[in-house]
Amino acid sequence: MTVRLRIAGARMYDPLRGVDGDVRDLCIEDGRIVERLPGDAPTLDARGLVAMPGGVDMHSHIAGPKVNLARKLQPEDHRDDPQPRTGALRSGTGGTVPSTWTTGYRYAGLGYTTVMEAAVPPSGARSAHAELRETPIVDKGFYVLMGNNEYLMRAIARGEAGSARDFAGWLICAAKAYAIKIVNPGGVAAWKSRRADVRGLDDPVDGLGVTPRQIVRTLAAAAEELALPHPVHIHCNNLGIAGNAATTLETMRAVEGRRAHFTHLQFHSYGGEPGGRPSSKAAEVMEYVNSHPNISVDVGQVMFGPATAMTADGPVGHLLHQLTGRKWVNVDVELETGCGIVPYEYKDRRTIHVLQWAIGLEIFLTARDLWRVVLSTDHPNGGSFLSYPRLMRLLMDRAFRDEEIKKVKANGLEGTSLKDGLDREYSLYEIAIITRAAPARLLGLQARKGHLGPGADADVALYEDNPADREAMFRAPRYVLKGGRLVVEEGQLRSQVFGRTLRAAPSYDRAIEHDVRAFFDRYGTIQFDNFAIADDEVDRP
Amino acid sequence: MTATVLTPLDLPRVPLEAEAIAPERLAGRSEREVALLPVQIGNATAQLGEFFRVRGAGSDEIRIDGDVSRVKGIGAGMTRGRLVVEGGVGMHAGARMRGGELVVMGDAGAWAGAEMVGGVLRIGGSAGDHAGAAYPGSRRGMTGGALLVGGNAGRELGGVMRRGLIAVRGSAGDYSGFNMIAGSIVLCGGAGRRTAAGMKRGSLVAFRSLELLPTFRYACTYRPEFLALLLRTLRDLFGFAIDARYVSGLYRRYSGDFAELGRGEILIWTSD
Amino acid sequence: MRLNGVFIEDTFAEAFAMSGARAVITGRTQAWAREAATRMTGFATSVIGCKCEAGIEGDLPADATPDGRPGTSVLLFAFNPEGVQTRIVERIGQCVLTCPTTACYDGLAEEPVRISVGGQLRYFGDKFQLSKVIDGRRYWRVPVMEGEFLVEETFGARPAVGGGNFLILGESADAALAAAEAAVAAMGRVRGVILPFPGGIVRSGSKVGSRHYSLKATTNDAYCPTLRGMVESALPDGVNSVLEIVIDGLTVEAVEEAMRVGIPAACRPGVHSISAGNYGGKLGQYALHLRKLLEGVPA
Repeated sequence: MTVRLRIAGARMYDPLRGVDGDVRDLCIEDGRIVERLPGDAPTLDARGLVAMPGGVDMHSHIAGPKVNLARKLQPEDHRDDPQPRTGALRSGTGGTVPSTWTTGYRYAGLGYTTVMEAAVPPSGARSAHAELRETPIVDKGFYVLMGNNEYLMRAIARGEAGSARDFAGWLICAAKAYAIKIVNPGGVAAWKSRRADVRGLDDPVDGLGVTPRQIVRTLAAAAEELALPHPVHIHCNNLGIAGNAATTLETMRAVEGRRAHFTHLQFHSYGGEPGGRPSSKAAEVMEYVNSHPNISVDVGQVMFGPATAMTADGPVGHLLHQLTGRKWVNVDVELETGCGIVPYEYKDRRTIHVLQWAIGLEIFLTARDLWRVVLSTDHPNGGSFLSYPRLMRLLMDRAFRDEEIKKVKANGLEGTSLKDGLDREYSLYEIAIITRAAPARLLGLQARKGHLGPGADADVALYEDNPADREAMFRAPRYVLKGGRLVVEEGQLRSQVFGRTLRAAPSYDRAIEHDVRAFFDRYGTIQFDNFAIADDEVDRP
Repeated sequence: MTATVLTPLDLPRVPLEAEAIAPERLAGRSEREVALLPVQIGNATAQLGEFFRVRGAGSDEIRIDGDVSRVKGIGAGMTRGRLVVEGGVGMHAGARMRGGELVVMGDAGAWAGAEMVGGVLRIGGSAGDHAGAAYPGSRRGMTGGALLVGGNAGRELGGVMRRGLIAVRGSAGDYSGFNMIAGSIVLCGGAGRRTAAGMKRGSLVAFRSLELLPTFRYACTYRPEFLALLLRTLRDLFGFAIDARYVSGLYRRYSGDFAELGRGEILIWTSD
Repeated sequence: MRLNGVFIEDTFAEAFAMSGARAVITGRTQAWAREAATRMTGFATSVIGCKCEAGIEGDLPADATPDGRPGTSVLLFAFNPEGVQTRIVERIGQCVLTCPTTACYDGLAEEPVRISVGGQLRYFGDKFQLSKVIDGRRYWRVPVMEGEFLVEETFGARPAVGGGNFLILGESADAALAAAEAAVAAMGRVRGVILPFPGGIVRSGSKVGSRHYSLKATTNDAYCPTLRGMVESALPDGVNSVLEIVIDGLTVEAVEEAMRVGIPAACRPGVHSISAGNYGGKLGQYALHLRKLLEGVPA
């Protein structure tokens, strides 16, 4: 039976098609958007509402072993935020690291319908898929970690870029992943072996002779040669360390003009000396980003309040534990990567946190090409995705932003352009770019995601326009449709559907598998034949 | 205004969860309305009136004239008024309470006064494990108020305590003052093993000798003036009997736990 | 009006609004508490010259102090709470912190205006100090060579009254002194007041300003017996010596009570009359009329 729905009279913000607030009908048939519908199709009266494509979060942490460890680490994070079972919805827990079901509900509750898990170790792919399968409503996928992979680093050290590419292709297919993720290239491996991170792009990783620059360059090329929908997704070396902007800029140069996505840029835009007090280098970093169309970024804004630091960047986890003295988890993921988890809180009375907050806003407010700058908090590292509506208001409402600036510890703003105020205010159209159209396009999903044109998935968020309080507006969409199904009605999450798992399937030279099998036999704890994810492990039947 | 009296009827074998029983949640309600308040039994919601006879209503004072050892969460989160139980109570009694007074004449189950913030919790009998302690994962246990135990206390008394006062007339179990951040615990009887393990700051006072962890170091024998103040407060303000020889006595001071910050102290009475 | 045959002039004492605090010092013995209190209240006769006025309010029995040890209560006055804080911190820091066995508590716990005392003195502990909250009040334990110095974090500061006074006009110096001593002894029983001058008595009453020098206060020539005939004297015939008793109190009622107790005690043989110091009512907020105060006191 064909299911049809006409959404009538909404003001549309659809930047991929250049639609900026026009009032049009939206025609939905069998989960997709179509040109037109028969006159007798059911109609949803959306007069006065703002329509946007469903939100796309291209960098979040919602599934996989580290997310689950973070849940286990923090019963206190869940205790006071239960998600009760209601009607068709399952019970769960919230906090900064919600349970899988609650994650899906709460993303949908904000009008987000596509979420990418940004860092899964290959050996954690199975658990990530198991969790994504239990994450309702949203379409989802993950990036697989490669920047400290032993096999890959050996291949690069031998100068075998082709082997590295084919290995990357095999790994994407075997893990049923979506993109290549690099975290602290070479640095995690170095830290695991001798407790010393690498610092510069040309510092060789102990024992392997490979450098971060070689890893970045090789994988950026591999992503292009494998024709992956999303370019290499890079978390640079020296996250959080004063003076790391130099590393970030050097890494941007290291991709040699190839496309590359630099994630949570805020955490990588600091001046100063390592071990000393950081300063803002947002202007310098953004100057490079603005003038290099091959580079895209997401911001990794920090928001004041509770957070959970969770990263494949083991040394960063160690550092945060030392700074805070709080409980932590650190894992050496065999042959592949690391993992650090520390509960964290950003405080508006802490100079360093205020600086981080300000740098994130500087990045947003000085970006020239919004199609390459995406809204993220690196959930839950910079704060929960539930703080996105507040962040949107900070970007859209200068008066509100100025009030918030007055509340924070002032010396954290020293040296940032926020100190003298930045008068930019994002429009609804621009918000639609950085939360929908741009991430969809950067993910290579623009055929079906991030817009409201014919052929798109009918993932739609309808908000009541509220210029006085954009936070309230984006916190509670009036309607959300996922694949044409109404999941939020009158602001209430009503029903649950299941999205798809997005994955890439590049072609590569399968001859590599022979060598990978030998490597697994020799060093791995998993049999090669048991490693790859089977089709029936992905998505619910 | 007379107290609201709750008389336990035939209580089920499955523990009842009755956080509704707190002065501010009963105040201003009629007998009928009180009887309709929700309680949880297993995974089902029931009404208070199915398990208690309600007499008198509307006041800030509640009296439960029987044993409710199988009822959990009595007085949890209470902020004011007075709640007297003429018997024992189940788990989580007075947990997270912020004010008022909860008097338990019998024994209390585990987690009595857990993470309490203020008010006074008096337990005439013994307290179970984790009295005045932090729930799993919490960064802080008790952050204020007074927890007074007439009998013994179980394990992890005052775990991760941040502020407030705990006094136990009888003996305390293992790990009393475990991971204490600050605050004061007075143990009139003995204590089990690993007392004050992981203590950062705060004071654990014992009138009997203790088995000390090797990460505590002896400092001196002296008369701590603050302790006179503390014990007099306990005696005069809370009516917790303390013999005069302890009030002005000589104490051995041990600093620790040096496995942690080491700014805490164990004070052990030696003579008057 | 006459009391016990002594003439009471129809005049008033002019008193000033000040800010006051009460420190309760305890010690192992009454003598040590008293010693600290005596030192702490030294050089505190006049707010003009000493930045504050302070004195011993009285001794406290062991059962009336927070820690159950004998104590001494001290009152300290300055123009405003900030002044009280600065001076009381200095004085407790130099005279109580240093004194064997003592501890120091706030004696005005109910006052909403709080000044930081232990909150300042704790820094002597060089981060070894420990805090303890007991019954909602915070105390600091400062490690010292003897053991520990315990001091309350904040003290109350309340609006107070300074400069209550009366003058004893004696027929002889001996008679004036005996009368003043008798008055001081009687006033020692009144709570809420102190007599900031030596032995509670001041012989050098002052006038505002100077005839010859740029000084704020100089000798009250009108009351100096040796200047009779040289200046316009205020002294009646037969008066050969004048002593003043100055009273500071936490309330105007306490100051009045002290005067009501002190003046009759001073009315002894050899006293010519009782007067009071004022500035015509222009400077002080309080005018304490002698005859009104003494209404009902048996003549």
